[in-house]
Amino acid sequence: MMLATAPTLDVSGLTKRFGGLIAVKEIGFTIAPGEILGLIGPNGSGKSTVMKLIMGIERPDAGTVKLAGTDIAGWPTHRIARQGVGMVFQHSRPLPRQTVLENIKLALLPDSLFRLAAEPHVDHRAREIAERVGLGAVMHRRPPTLPFADLRRLEMAKALARNPKVVLVDEPFAGLTSGEVAVFSELIEGFRREGHAVLLVDHNVKSVAAMVDRVLAMYLGQRIAEGTAEEVMRDETVRRVYIGGKIEAHPRKELDNKGGEALLDVRGVDVFYGKARALQEVSLHVNTGEFVSVVGLNGAGKTTLFNAISGLVPFAGDIHWSGNSLNGRDPARIAREGIVQCPETRELFGDMSVRENLDLGGQHLPRAHREEQLNWLLDLFPILRERQHQQAVTLSGGEQQMLAIARALMMRPKLLILDEPTLGLAPVILEQLSNALGRLRETTPITVLLGEQNVTFALPHADRVYVLEHARVVWEGDPERFAAEMGAGYL
Amino acid sequence: MRGLQILIDGFAISSLYGIGALGFTLLFGVCGVLNLAHGGIILVAGLFGWWFASEYGIGPYGGAAIGILAGLIASYITYFLVVRPIQRSRAIPKSEEEIFVLTGTLLWGVMIQDGMDYLFSNNPVTMQPLLPGVINLFGVRTPRNELLIAGICWAVIGLLYLLVNHTRIGKQLLAAAINPRGLTLLGFQLSRIYLVVWTIYGLLAGLAGVLLASFFGVSSDNAGNLTASAFTIVILGGLGSVSGSLIAAYVVGYAETLTAYLLAPTLRPIPALLILILVLYIRPRGFLGRR
Amino acid sequence: MTLLRRPGPWIGLLLVLLAATAPGWLGAYYLGVLSTAYYFGVFAMSWDLLFGFAGEVNFGPTFMIGTGAYAAGLMNNAGFGIPLCIAGGAAAAVVGGLILALPALRLRGPYFGLVTLVAVLLLLDCIVIFAGVTGGEIGMMVPSILSVSAVTNYWYAFGFLAISAVILFGLSRSSLGLILQATGQDRIGAAALGFNVTKHKLAAFCISALFSGVAGAMITFYEGIASVDTVVSLALTVQIVIAVVFGGRRTIVGAIIGGIFLILFNELLRPLGQLNSLVVSGIALVVIIFFPDGALGWMFHSRDES
Repeated sequence: MMLATAPTLDVSGLTKRFGGLIAVKEIGFTIAPGEILGLIGPNGSGKSTVMKLIMGIERPDAGTVKLAGTDIAGWPTHRIARQGVGMVFQHSRPLPRQTVLENIKLALLPDSLFRLAAEPHVDHRAREIAERVGLGAVMHRRPPTLPFADLRRLEMAKALARNPKVVLVDEPFAGLTSGEVAVFSELIEGFRREGHAVLLVDHNVKSVAAMVDRVLAMYLGQRIAEGTAEEVMRDETVRRVYIGGKIEAHPRKELDNKGGEALLDVRGVDVFYGKARALQEVSLHVNTGEFVSVVGLNGAGKTTLFNAISGLVPFAGDIHWSGNSLNGRDPARIAREGIVQCPETRELFGDMSVRENLDLGGQHLPRAHREEQLNWLLDLFPILRERQHQQAVTLSGGEQQMLAIARALMMRPKLLILDEPTLGLAPVILEQLSNALGRLRETTPITVLLGEQNVTFALPHADRVYVLEHARVVWEGDPERFAAEMGAGYL
Repeated sequence: MRGLQILIDGFAISSLYGIGALGFTLLFGVCGVLNLAHGGIILVAGLFGWWFASEYGIGPYGGAAIGILAGLIASYITYFLVVRPIQRSRAIPKSEEEIFVLTGTLLWGVMIQDGMDYLFSNNPVTMQPLLPGVINLFGVRTPRNELLIAGICWAVIGLLYLLVNHTRIGKQLLAAAINPRGLTLLGFQLSRIYLVVWTIYGLLAGLAGVLLASFFGVSSDNAGNLTASAFTIVILGGLGSVSGSLIAAYVVGYAETLTAYLLAPTLRPIPALLILILVLYIRPRGFLGRR
Repeated sequence: MTLLRRPGPWIGLLLVLLAATAPGWLGAYYLGVLSTAYYFGVFAMSWDLLFGFAGEVNFGPTFMIGTGAYAAGLMNNAGFGIPLCIAGGAAAAVVGGLILALPALRLRGPYFGLVTLVAVLLLLDCIVIFAGVTGGEIGMMVPSILSVSAVTNYWYAFGFLAISAVILFGLSRSSLGLILQATGQDRIGAAALGFNVTKHKLAAFCISALFSGVAGAMITFYEGIASVDTVVSLALTVQIVIAVVFGGRRTIVGAIIGGIFLILFNELLRPLGQLNSLVVSGIALVVIIFFPDGALGWMFHSRDES
């Protein structure tokens, strides 16, 4: 009876630094047997690092990780695994030449150099596990021939085979259809019923809300909220991180593009990463001079959509640009033809100066225009004028983002795609960035496609809004209607 | 006197090593390709240079021009027939591409070596000096050719520096080395940039080949060792770091010259290998490497 | 059942039968060629265990082979008998393998490849520098030889190949082989399943070195000489790579077939003289570009139909 209440996993004061950056700061939580804890946070919040620290893939700088009373912090991964921690990886790399059954057997083998043949019960047990996770029909096939959901099942089976006390699951439902989500939820419930402690790591509360007993929300390496899924979803700080503050909308004064032809027309686009579906039947259009926002949580498919438009990932369906099809076109040519993307990763040339970064953006322009464009941009982002000769890596996050936007604008884009410009930026910087976008929208006829998780940032400038959820467009409309129709259900 | 002689000889040898390693490091830095056929390409340039200079009587400069051209052609063949097909193959998973490029260029290097062996035998040959005669440098009798070669090396290094830091294409190369994706997003075609790099690489390897042929002489047996010493220098300096490679070239060049003069000529290759192993254990990213 | 429907095992059986009866219908010269091919097959198998299974880009198989061969030769010259010399050579090779394994635990991909390459160059330099003992580039003669009879030598080589093949193939299909592949494929994933990656990598190096060393020692006593060309040179490394690429990586059996095929092919191309090696390398290059899974590998690993 004592055992049932003592936590299986007890983490406290967990801290990890990468160089000067504090990726995880004094995180602590407990998980009891049969309990499911959700660990959520946007990209870069440190949630994955926490998982790696528990598994021993990274060594913590401080803190303890107690597994049934034993402190395993800093142990090598294989010892932690043998002590009773299992992990379901998001991207699996099964042995391609072995069958599904053999892959499961691998997880059942002892870590011994001298036990050359598996014990007889291993085969039986592997079959049992294959049946249980729903791989019974395909256990003699090889992984490369299986669909994505089955590969995820195989990862689940391997974790199950180790019979761990604690199971860490990385983004349990990424890339799955809603039917498959139900099956996987049931598998995870199975872990709970058998008394395992489960940690689900995901971008947002919504996808794990139905299963978890409690949720811990992280942002910039720190804990920002903890409680039931509803409590966390209602939490002010969490809402500020995911949605921003109060939602506002500023319709543009004169909209002279009513009925204007679509500059960019995306029709029924599907994208797969290997076997994982990243975009499903997505259609949207952007008219000349419009500011269109695509909002959606991390992992919804925004970046994939933009990469498809920029020609960086192959897709099925049609993307038209000023009436011409972009299918199969080279990304560099797409950029030169006026669709310029400023990606969420920024992709700056870190060792080069601010000025050199900007000059590279302007190399395609005639010399006279180059100077003009540069001066205009340095007026738009005065901080960059000051930092002209500094190396890009030495800039702060906000300055880097401004540089990335300015560099894209140096190309005089017909359509500027901004992917998640607020990622990891402090609120003060957001305001500066928002003002710059406002000025851009008011003083130039620029067409913008903005992808954001932060609704407060995305809405004020938008003429139209799309909501992307789970690889699909689920809502489309004016920003004014967003608060009423989508505001509550977004998180 | 001996000290001065080591200083002068070491300088010339090191400069030559620097040129030999420069293209190799550029190729890795920008294109991410470790070309194990490097020695083979140097060999082609040196042997063709020597052959045209002596057999066709077009003199050392004509021979050198032909040799550099041969190096350039060999570089293009390496890229278009070996490296690019591997990079574009759908049957080779991306995670194994590096291993396949290493293996492919290794085999191609062997083919070049065998081909040269067949055409010219493996007897060492020496191209006529670009500049005959000897001058007395602070009491050390030094071949003019040796000084000219060191001079050419530094002139080329200077030119390359100007190209990379002060021209538009140079900036593109630098940017491609730092962040190829960023460059694509700015509308630059990476395939065009890679072609430029393979051109510069071919010219540098070609030059290294003809200078080597004129300084030390070359033999088809050298291919493996040439690759290994370029590889050693580049790793010592830090993969992809041009200035690191130059420093490493001097460290290796002087270590070898000192060993040859003070211990025994046969021990010449040993110190570089020992330094390399030491550096790899203590500081695997090399003198100036990042990561 | 499915096994018998593939052509591979049948062709394999036929080849084993042919090999086992070869002394009955082949002349001494060709038996000699085959004997060399068999030792070479063991080199290739040992390399495949490291490269194909443990995922280590080892460009220095000849470091282990050469260490084994020269250690055995030195012991023989010091008056020890052949069995003891082979055991000594094997032990020396295992030590060599562990020396190679140390950087493998710290370095990745091309760095490790280079260190192994350098290890071979150092060994080559040492042999040349200590020419007084090692015979330098000419080679080191050994007083004892396995046998003067081509047939007896053939049986030694064939027996050794057969034993090595059974052990190495068995290991590759055993739990150890599975775990090795898992560590080669995904280090972190394997560790997360509770496997001590370091321990298994070291084991792979030891096993590979053991067989390489014994093969190196035996070929020395077969030829009566340990020479740079037969047991150390980079050309031998390239040939081993070619053999494994031909036969298909991660198969062990493919390595043998690739190895034997290569030696016979070399024999066939002998009229080409110096161009021989060029043609072989060229074919290998075409194979890795167009059939990265090996030209012969498909016979033994038919893909799933679906």
